[in-house]
Amino acid sequence: MLKRDQGVVLPTSVKVPGFRVELEGTVFRLEATGSWTVHQATKLDSALKRLQVPIPPTPDFTGEMDVSNIAELDTAGAWLLQSTAERWRDTGLVTRFSGATKGFAILIEEVERRSQAEKPQTAGEGGVSRLFADLARTMAGVWQDARQMTGFLGAVTDTFGRIIKHPSRFRMLSFIHHVDHAGLRAVAIISLICLLIGAVVMQQAAVQLQAFGAEIFSVNMLGILALREVGVLLTAIMVAGRSASAFTAEIGSMKMREEIDAMRTLGIDPMETLVAPRILALIVALPLLTFIGDIMCLIGGGLMAIAYLGLDIATYVDVLHSVVDFRHFMAGMVKAPFAALIIGLVGCLEGLKVEGSADSLGFHVTSAVVKAIFLVIVFDAIFAMFLSAIGI
Amino acid sequence: MGRDLVKTAETIISVRGLAKRFGTKQIWTDLNLDVMRGEILAVVGGSGQGKSVLLRVITGLVQPDAGSIQIFGKDVNTLTAEETIDMESRWGVSFQDGALFSSLTVLQNIQVPMREHLDLPQAIMDELAFLKIAMVGLRPEAAHNYPSELSGGMRKRAGLARALSLDPEIVFLDEPTAGLDPIGASDFDNLIRKLQQTLGLTVYMVTHDLDSIFTVCDRVAVLADQTVVRTGPPEELRKKPDHPWIRDYFCGERARAATA
Repeated sequence: MLKRDQGVVLPTSVKVPGFRVELEGTVFRLEATGSWTVHQATKLDSALKRLQVPIPPTPDFTGEMDVSNIAELDTAGAWLLQSTAERWRDTGLVTRFSGATKGFAILIEEVERRSQAEKPQTAGEGGVSRLFADLARTMAGVWQDARQMTGFLGAVTDTFGRIIKHPSRFRMLSFIHHVDHAGLRAVAIISLICLLIGAVVMQQAAVQLQAFGAEIFSVNMLGILALREVGVLLTAIMVAGRSASAFTAEIGSMKMREEIDAMRTLGIDPMETLVAPRILALIVALPLLTFIGDIMCLIGGGLMAIAYLGLDIATYVDVLHSVVDFRHFMAGMVKAPFAALIIGLVGCLEGLKVEGSADSLGFHVTSAVVKAIFLVIVFDAIFAMFLSAIGI
Repeated sequence: MGRDLVKTAETIISVRGLAKRFGTKQIWTDLNLDVMRGEILAVVGGSGQGKSVLLRVITGLVQPDAGSIQIFGKDVNTLTAEETIDMESRWGVSFQDGALFSSLTVLQNIQVPMREHLDLPQAIMDELAFLKIAMVGLRPEAAHNYPSELSGGMRKRAGLARALSLDPEIVFLDEPTAGLDPIGASDFDNLIRKLQQTLGLTVYMVTHDLDSIFTVCDRVAVLADQTVVRTGPPEELRKKPDHPWIRDYFCGERARAATA
């Protein structure tokens, strides 16, 4: 903000901005007063817009912006004066500034020069076309995702191949760290959830089957359901929520700070150091967690059976033993490493897709969790159909 | 020209008896500094002398252990919350790497202070933001870019444009030319000079760059021995280097090249 007179403290009355237009001979004069700053810009702008642009009756009429009574001027004020002068000039009125101090003159001239730059517009789309454009982008995005995922699976397989050839390149420490974080530290929460869901399933089944006097079959239902579906699915979803997001955030923030580029330039392969240990850790940890989840489901169901159906432990175990077969256990267990692979791939791939901004990190973490859970469920459904088709 | 016009003896920032300690390390004891209205002041000093910390203390981001700071004649420690906000809109800070909000475009970044402190129609905000973009020498096409799409020099310019958003009276610059190539740095120096003349700014900058000191700065304040040991025009410090650090700094190889 420039003041006309630096040393003077202005009384408030002088600061009130205003202007008036008068015709003096052949000169239209706009006399501006007070403080023309950004704080007053809204008021001044609407007043200036209401002002009628003078139309010169003959070409020898001129315009004049008299700023000699302006106390304070900043960029916004200068721009307002300048754009008004521009409007006057458009009608053929030659308009000039008068009464500017040296400082004011520099600012007004600078604003005049700078405001002539072309302003690029962002491409605006209408509502409907934007809707279709969004749809098209989303569909293309799904295809893109599928391609990237397949490509990434190939790259990971290649990396594992290299590690098998040169086992010394495997990062054991990192692997153990991730087994600890993704596996061991998830035991408590997965146990708790599986225990509760086991109990709930048992209770719901018992209520429905009691009507037919067939409540003992609720043990069959729980046993099969827990081992084939609930145990592995709950565990996989929980791990997707915990670890896919963690992988994306860890790798993504390294990507943001160019650490991954730095690794590449130092001859360190991020696939080997970051991706492979994480995915392998999940492939090891998830089946173990699934086993714990299965057992906790059965224990939860058992507790409910004892409390609700009045069975004793021996009967519960007996019934369970006669119903549940090893193939049921395996039908659930075989899915665990595949779910682990999906979660690990999605988590690491989303991390590598993060770009410079904090926004991008948040977006990819969310999308990692959503995609991981979605893919785990889709793939579980495919497995269920396949296994029942081959009679397991 | 414009510089002489606004240069008066009015003290705009006055720092008295400042002390600050981090852990066991005493940064300053009894530091005094005056900044005059309309001047370009460079604050120089060796690493760890607290140049950036001083900027942060003056702008209220870090609390000093002792001492008083007066800006626009008011003690910043006795201000109410409202007065503090009012005062903050009268200065702008441009951080080393721009510190732009990464989720907003350059145009939106520049409009953040306007949105926060004023109630302006969108059309005016757009016009003003484009004006600021042009004034700091960015191409208008950069307006719709996100910070991650800009080069380091462009981010610095955009950061400066945001600092100038409300036409502040004081601009604080933290190492404005660090990380720029010599041509870019000299462009930036000229830009600061030009803006200072156009907008009647007071510029407080932390810098290492001898070229900027000799080309644009009116006065230099030297931080050493836990205080401001000397202030004065750069030429004067170069001719009479009566402190060992100043001698090393202003009379070394690089200084000779900068003044040659």
